[in-house]
Amino acid sequence: MAKGDFGIRVVNNRGEAVRVGDATLTPQSQAVVLRWPNGGLVWNRPVAVRVEQGEDVRQIPILDVTRLVQVGLWVFWIILVFRTAGRLRRQRRG
Amino acid sequence: MDEPMDSGMTSQVVRSQQEGVKLLNQLMEVAQPERVFAAPISEGGYTLINTSEVMTGMGFGFGMGQGETRPGEGQVTEAGETAEEEKGVGGGGGGGGYAMARPVAVISVGPAGVEVIPVADRTKLGIAMLTTLGTMLFMLGRMRRGA
Repeated sequence: MAKGDFGIRVVNNRGEAVRVGDATLTPQSQAVVLRWPNGGLVWNRPVAVRVEQGEDVRQIPILDVTRLVQVGLWVFWIILVFRTAGRLRRQRRG
Repeated sequence: MDEPMDSGMTSQVVRSQQEGVKLLNQLMEVAQPERVFAAPISEGGYTLINTSEVMTGMGFGFGMGQGETRPGEGQVTEAGETAEEEKGVGGGGGGGGYAMARPVAVISVGPAGVEVIPVADRTKLGIAMLTTLGTMLFMLGRMRRGA
């Protein structure tokens, strides 16, 4: 395996434009590529879609609702654990 | 006699390694946007494009080794003589992989224009919610016992 294949890379890609009616949609994705000798990992996710309609050009972001709620819950969970641990410590002291 | 066996094993390991690298390069193609955006489907005046999150990973490894007995170290035969010098080669390999795909949103093109409709994974959210709820109850219980 070439030495250059080792490491982490973030690649922003543009897919092939699709024409639907008078709109041209260009999908955009972001891939995180991790490579190490004899292995690798690829995480590819959609980021946005570029919409061209006549002279109007818009970029609509693609939000991952599941991930957002999941991360929100994890953050809440971590805060809860730390706050409860702090309270328990204070209860034991005083 | 031993030399061809050794070189045969080495070439086999090298071949397996090359196959693994080939497979790994195929895996890297997942980074292309075509893997995330599905082909458009048109139905009833609407065109839908499904978008998904894709994750794949793999790892593999191979190894080989050889050994030989030094003169006088070999097994002793019934007659009490030391057996001839012995040589051996061995090798092995293993690997594993993971692949996941989850729909994230649907791009809808209709009379109202272009819309991005998010897709919520209820199972994932349910598991995360249950974990948080479980932790809350556990912490509450500990606090009550501590008070």
